[in-house]
Amino acid sequence: MPELKEKVCPLSEAASLIKDGARIHIGGFSVHNHPMAFVYELIRRGVKDLTLVGHVSSNEVDILVGAGCVKKVEISYVGLEEHGLAPNYRRAVERGQIELEEYSEPVAFERFACSSRGQSFFTTQEMLGTDIPKYNPKIKEMISPYNGQKYNLVPAADPDWVILHAPMGDKYGNVLFFERKQLPEQLDVTAGQSCDKVIVTVEQIISRDRVMGLSHLNILPRFRTTAIVEAPYGAHPSSCIKLYDQDREHMGMYARMSRAPEGFKEYLDKYVYGVKSHMEYLNLIGIETLLKLRVVGGTLA
Amino acid sequence: MSLKYTAYEAMAVAICHELNDRENWFIGLATGDATIQILSRVPIVGMCLAQLTHAPNSFMAVAGWLMNPVVNEIPTTMESEFGTALQFWRCESRATAYLAARGECDVGFGSAAQIDKYGNCNIVCIGNYYRPKIRLIGPINQPGHFSLFKREFIIVDHEKRNFVDKVDFVSGVGYLDGPGAREKAGLPRGGPCLILTDKCIFDFDPEAKLVRLRSIHPGVTLQDVIANTGYTHDWVPDKVSETLPPTDEELRLIREVIDPRAVLIPR
Repeated sequence: MPELKEKVCPLSEAASLIKDGARIHIGGFSVHNHPMAFVYELIRRGVKDLTLVGHVSSNEVDILVGAGCVKKVEISYVGLEEHGLAPNYRRAVERGQIELEEYSEPVAFERFACSSRGQSFFTTQEMLGTDIPKYNPKIKEMISPYNGQKYNLVPAADPDWVILHAPMGDKYGNVLFFERKQLPEQLDVTAGQSCDKVIVTVEQIISRDRVMGLSHLNILPRFRTTAIVEAPYGAHPSSCIKLYDQDREHMGMYARMSRAPEGFKEYLDKYVYGVKSHMEYLNLIGIETLLKLRVVGGTLA
Repeated sequence: MSLKYTAYEAMAVAICHELNDRENWFIGLATGDATIQILSRVPIVGMCLAQLTHAPNSFMAVAGWLMNPVVNEIPTTMESEFGTALQFWRCESRATAYLAARGECDVGFGSAAQIDKYGNCNIVCIGNYYRPKIRLIGPINQPGHFSLFKREFIIVDHEKRNFVDKVDFVSGVGYLDGPGAREKAGLPRGGPCLILTDKCIFDFDPEAKLVRLRSIHPGVTLQDVIANTGYTHDWVPDKVSETLPPTDEELRLIREVIDPRAVLIPR
């Protein structure tokens, strides 16, 4: 019997798939479930001119923008929740250094669902009257031939690549999510179904046997994935819902240091350029900190 | 003698008085701790008080997805919309979709850096869109609050710069440029119904659609409100009434039943 193709690879190899100018979606929502280990690797590789197509973003977009990797952002929100505005994003937009394409939040979600259905656009009334369509030429207007009402037309997200962080998977690229999914996890699943090229970092690579016994959790089966990478605590300092919490102290420090470009540079030098690998990063953060973030029993929630 | 109360308690009670039975209420994500206080923690107390006093058949969606949580068991300070602690918060239902598309949501709570004289709200940018003086968070779910929900309560710290004649960017659609404008824009329903601050309550003239002062909180002077409000139209009525202050029973419910650990409202 021919052998299954293994899709497991080192972080650096997976990150090398993303070329300058790529149109990518980075998974997660707000301060949760971002594939941060992958993001840091992109920065270390010096990738340029990315278009980030997303919905509700936080430190993952902020740090890529600050590191000069981004040309354009398609988004509904970039902020750090309790830690305030996203400092690098704010600076770059105020200086006109990045291009924006904005949508309201549910519309930004729906763009991925639209791609997952193989459709090119959808209609909505929720942005009518706002200034969003005025500054976003992708949004069109039409009168419904069915009820005579006005609607906006919104294009599908159609990313070239989707990069997610998930709890577990196998070396063949099956990706397992927990049974009860919160919005961030649901959005990740939809994004994983919206694109032909999906890279997933997981907390743990598990055996194929185990996957066969947990098939109900195998929501992104291997035909959907291009590469899978083991990256424990790979979402730090964002959370990986049910496994560990957002590192609020670290995120607060990131927000404070990033207020000035010099402070941000110091942060990058220490936590991104100053380490060669994800393991070195975890050593820098320290086992005590990482263990405090664990949510034992979180998988039962 | 009546009990003393804080501005946040008075705001929670004011919210409670505006809510009706058999309604669905919605609060989502907020940015920055000061905003989380007025946009998450205070409204949760107001909604819970309404459920205990006159609105038992209502639903509150906290963080957009926790329906009717057991408020006095709150496990966090609402610092994030999806912290793991929130997953263990006991509640009646976990809504998995936004309560909006078909008008299921009666009331939303929102805030803004700018609110103009027609109630249009801005959380996108201050200044020119392409080279803003201050870039803010982006529209997030504010458009839907003002277009798909039935009514929106705007809650904001009372600072002069928040009240402008015209917003720099419309992310939440108030009455745009006056009567008939929402209908012309094609909005299916909804819009702002009041602005609640730590000093007063504004509402909207039903004909002109302009912001007007409805009531001043006890202990606040009209001069104080005028000095801290940036509107240039005639927004002060001849006779200004006082916001109904919290009763002792309302304060008892807040302090003993709803928020006994003072997690939501500092004492």
